[in-house]
Amino acid sequence: MLSVENLKVVYRGVILALDGVSLEVGEGEAVALLGPNGAGKSSLVRTIAGLLPKFEGRVLDGKVRLFGREATHLDPVGISRLGLTAILEGRPLFRYLTPVENLMAAGHRLPPKALKEGMEEVFARFPRLYERRHEQAGYLSGGEQQMLLLGMALLTRPRLLVVDEPSLGLAPKLVGEVMQTLDALRREKGLSLLLVEQNARAALGVVDRVYVLERGRVVFEGSAKEAMEDQDVMEFYLGKEEVGFRQARRYRRRKRWV
Amino acid sequence: MADLLPYLIGGLANGALYSLLALGFVLVYRATSVVNFAIGEFLLVGAYLTYTFALLLPLPLALLAALPLAFLFGVLVERGFVRPLLGRNVVAVIMATIGLAAALDGGVQLLWGPDLKYLPGSLPDLGFEAGGVYVSSRAVWNLLLALPLGLGLLWLLRKSRYGVLVRAISEREVAALALGIPTARILAGVWGVSALLATLAGALLAAASGVGHNLVFFGLKVFPVAILGGLDAVGGALAAGFLLGVLEAYLPGFTEALPFVVVLLVLLVRPYGLFGERQIERV
Repeated sequence: MLSVENLKVVYRGVILALDGVSLEVGEGEAVALLGPNGAGKSSLVRTIAGLLPKFEGRVLDGKVRLFGREATHLDPVGISRLGLTAILEGRPLFRYLTPVENLMAAGHRLPPKALKEGMEEVFARFPRLYERRHEQAGYLSGGEQQMLLLGMALLTRPRLLVVDEPSLGLAPKLVGEVMQTLDALRREKGLSLLLVEQNARAALGVVDRVYVLERGRVVFEGSAKEAMEDQDVMEFYLGKEEVGFRQARRYRRRKRWV
Repeated sequence: MADLLPYLIGGLANGALYSLLALGFVLVYRATSVVNFAIGEFLLVGAYLTYTFALLLPLPLALLAALPLAFLFGVLVERGFVRPLLGRNVVAVIMATIGLAAALDGGVQLLWGPDLKYLPGSLPDLGFEAGGVYVSSRAVWNLLLALPLGLGLLWLLRKSRYGVLVRAISEREVAALALGIPTARILAGVWGVSALLATLAGALLAAASGVGHNLVFFGLKVFPVAILGGLDAVGGALAAGFLLGVLEAYLPGFTEALPFVVVLLVLLVRPYGLFGERQIERV
């Protein structure tokens, strides 16, 4: 479905954000991409969504293949047509538009009837959005905005959904809710999912496989179960409490020499 | 009161043209954040296009023929001058429009000559008298074309799917791209509509008082009108055009300075313009 090979991405010609990342998402699979701030997670999302040029970034080396087609330098419109929808970080909805208008914008490729049905489906799933459907989306709560974004993504009729940090800035209870919704949607629609998260604990519950990214490289790859059993991942990405500061520092150093 | 009514009508007639032009200007600013300093030249080119067609066709048909060409002209300007500079400093794009303005100024004079020209035909006379007040044909035509077009455009922007996409792109282009919205095509369309509106204003102006290079000065007034309405408020541009037209009619003699004085006074009280939007901020 999605395969990334040895991807190297650089910003403004000098800042190396991805340093040879390879990653796969299979048909119907849910994969998490974990890692701390600045690991390159969002750069990867931008690259596969074709939005890198908008951020003054460039692919130095490597390949992105989408649904069996070369898509490294494809434009965002073409990528979206192929069936990949990325929800970028930072709640990228249209704040001055109402939820109804946001959904209209997202469903721009649908014929009017399908758009109407799609909207009704979204509103049926998220009744809170229906109540506030004519208010400016900028005034919705964080959780409601996240739900709206999921609804918008659905109306693009994706086969592969990429979600960048949906948990950011949400209360822990809401994080769980968002993850559950993602999981339910994925199963219901038969989507593949690439979930990019800092909140590893939340993400691990809903995915099959895990990649951990650090400083532009994949430092761990395995099933969700393996990730939970792995000492390093557990201690440093799930934030086990008994880890002391000194150990954490030693771990960081070791990883940097890899 | 009845003595003042003719001024009102004359003012509205002029204001209708300000509105059309300001709409074109604000539409582009709103959708692309580009301040198009060449909007006066769009009007000039449109007027000359209409003049050229009017040499061959009756004026209403000439106008109809000029409009699609004007749309195309707007699209070409976007492709040639604006698109290559997207993502650069905003000033770069603005400088490009200033350069374009100068080039168009010169090009138009080379092509059509510097002297004032009068259209060979005229629009059908729709002037009438009601209750002792004479309403000129010019006023009827201006209002008849500008008002429905302006309001229709507002409606399109508010309610239609296309309008929603334009507003979405204008707010967050990257987010729109991520949803697969063909932003490039839609923005080119916005430039096309902008040029079309300017051409209509130019043609109406030409029908009333001939075509000459001095039309550019009419175009200059678009800036105070747009700022008065609120740079990003499309409805504001429509209203401010009429408002300024009427003010000018009642205060003759200050026409060059008046719009700017009014803008200064309004901005003192309402820094976003009369209808400018407030920003939503979440912390």
